[in-house]
Amino acid sequence: MDRNQQRPRSSILDSLGEELIGILTPVSICMFTVVLLVCLLNSDPSSSSSFSSIATAAYSETDSDSPWDKLLGAFLNSLVFVAAITVATFLLVLLFYLRCVTFLKLYMGFSALVVLANLGGEISILLIDRFRFPIDSLTFSILLFNFSVVGVFAVFMSRFSILITQGYLVVIGVLVAYFFTMLPEWTTWVLLVALALYDLAAVLLPVGPLRLLVEMAISRDEDIPALVYEARPVIRDDSRLVQRRVWREQRSNVNDDDVENNVVRAEEEEEQRSEEISVPLIDSSSSSSSRPETFLEGIGLGASGAIKLGLGDFIFYSVLVGRAAMYDLMTVYACYLAIIAGLGVTLMLLSVYQKALPALPVSIMLGVVFYFLARLFLEVFVVQCSSNLVMF
Amino acid sequence: MTVAAGIGYALLALGPSLSLFVSVISRKPFLILTLLSSTLVWLVSLIVLSGLWRPFLPLKANVWWPYALLVLSSVCFQESLRFLFWKLYMRLEDVLDSFADRISRPRLFLTDKLQIALAGGLGHGVAHAVFFCLSLLTPAFGPATFYVDRCSKVPFFLVSAIIALAFVTIHTFSMVIAFEGYAKGNKVDQVIVPVIHLSAGMLTLVNFASEGCVIGVPLLYLVASLTLLHCGKMVWQRLIESRNQSGPTLR
Repeated sequence: MDRNQQRPRSSILDSLGEELIGILTPVSICMFTVVLLVCLLNSDPSSSSSFSSIATAAYSETDSDSPWDKLLGAFLNSLVFVAAITVATFLLVLLFYLRCVTFLKLYMGFSALVVLANLGGEISILLIDRFRFPIDSLTFSILLFNFSVVGVFAVFMSRFSILITQGYLVVIGVLVAYFFTMLPEWTTWVLLVALALYDLAAVLLPVGPLRLLVEMAISRDEDIPALVYEARPVIRDDSRLVQRRVWREQRSNVNDDDVENNVVRAEEEEEQRSEEISVPLIDSSSSSSSRPETFLEGIGLGASGAIKLGLGDFIFYSVLVGRAAMYDLMTVYACYLAIIAGLGVTLMLLSVYQKALPALPVSIMLGVVFYFLARLFLEVFVVQCSSNLVMF
Repeated sequence: MTVAAGIGYALLALGPSLSLFVSVISRKPFLILTLLSSTLVWLVSLIVLSGLWRPFLPLKANVWWPYALLVLSSVCFQESLRFLFWKLYMRLEDVLDSFADRISRPRLFLTDKLQIALAGGLGHGVAHAVFFCLSLLTPAFGPATFYVDRCSKVPFFLVSAIIALAFVTIHTFSMVIAFEGYAKGNKVDQVIVPVIHLSAGMLTLVNFASEGCVIGVPLLYLVASLTLLHCGKMVWQRLIESRNQSGPTLR
């Protein structure tokens, strides 16, 4: 065996970490788009406009309150919001238990329609206004209608092109996240921390609604009807991945994730070789994330070995980064790196523990910590140094 | 400055790293992860340094020696962090090699190790450019521009972009030199990297003199090109040596 024969064998570095990048790319695109929207549309500081939602039901922040009042008000707001989400998630669990899957799928499609048409239309109008784009209302409404309907089909139907489905999920995440950044400042930060804690409880505690949902889905061998982003499945002749495929082949009902033809072919080849594998090696688990009122979830490993990340995680990462963008872009870079690090840690834990994990806590905590560190310490230091052209 | 000028300054600082990213790093997902983690390490080191120096800021306007102290302490901290980063990388290399053995694939080639070091260095360089140059550009969009008194011929943003480009080069290639120096136990390479970093940092202090940037910036580019040459020579020697090594034994 000489060197020439060794050359064509590819190194392991060529394909290692592909699944991680498959999740990091859409998260980064979502965050980048939200930051762009925030920078473009928030040039006047008169925001905290007429945005009232369930998250500001208990207390709406005004500039004249003392910090203690704001903090207390933010706590109340978050409490109300988390309580609303808990109720909605338990309702979801109940409906799933009673096998009202059609109703849930219809609700998912309806919520996608509302987000794309209503929120998408509002943001488009704001953008058209900002850039003075000449378009008439008839053309606009036709385009918006087409856009929303294709989005609903992409979310609803399982055999849609995976790239378009992924694109629409990212767009839905961007739209909802942008609207959440319009919440008052203290409320946003306390809400993010409260949601991270809720996510931890809901996925890991035995009585948590998301854990119940995931366990029911596994025991029935079904997928949860929810807005979940699935990264493209990686096709490799890695022994672990092959075994995952076989497990999927033994599932009886129609699954909505398989759009790659060669995945099916690989399954058929390996089926003969591994009849002895009767226990699923991984949990195909993830939890729901449709409208913000019923979301929150975790990361799971998809049936074909791809990583699934719920849309709620996309939304809240982008809310954190968007809120950081309202202060300064240095905090944006710091928070972006913190969130990516948190996501990486969570994915590593996922590969170790092999069950559904909450994706929010680590990233949100790191993001919040880095935001305050950057705002208090980093900015002064860096501006001092670079305005005197002293760098290292 | 206008959006076009802003994009121009950003590309000036980050253009070569963007082309390195697209051509080398984006092909292998593992290198993207290495880049992100080394960016994070640099950010954490910067945050720790800013936390340490916060009680002493803001420094007085025209006195240069506190800045010298600041640069010295920062460079020492970052170099020690580079050594720790290398230790972590060694452990990672062992894990990767055992994984490769388990799935019966070849172990890491020399080019793989060099690419990982390059990605690590590029992460440091990109973090430097982003935090010292880009983060000041982006709030400043608008019709006017800004000049500093001490360097009045050129807009401030242009000077900081040019300095950032030099530092990106220095960070990227000194990481390759450092990793190879630690791996081979070569004392010259191990010492030359902190020396380069420190001298580059100290050279920016020349910018304190009035119109000092006219001398400071070209000298900085001299240091950057020295780094580039040394790294190129070292990598070339290693490649020739490894080819000679594997040639005779496989016959």
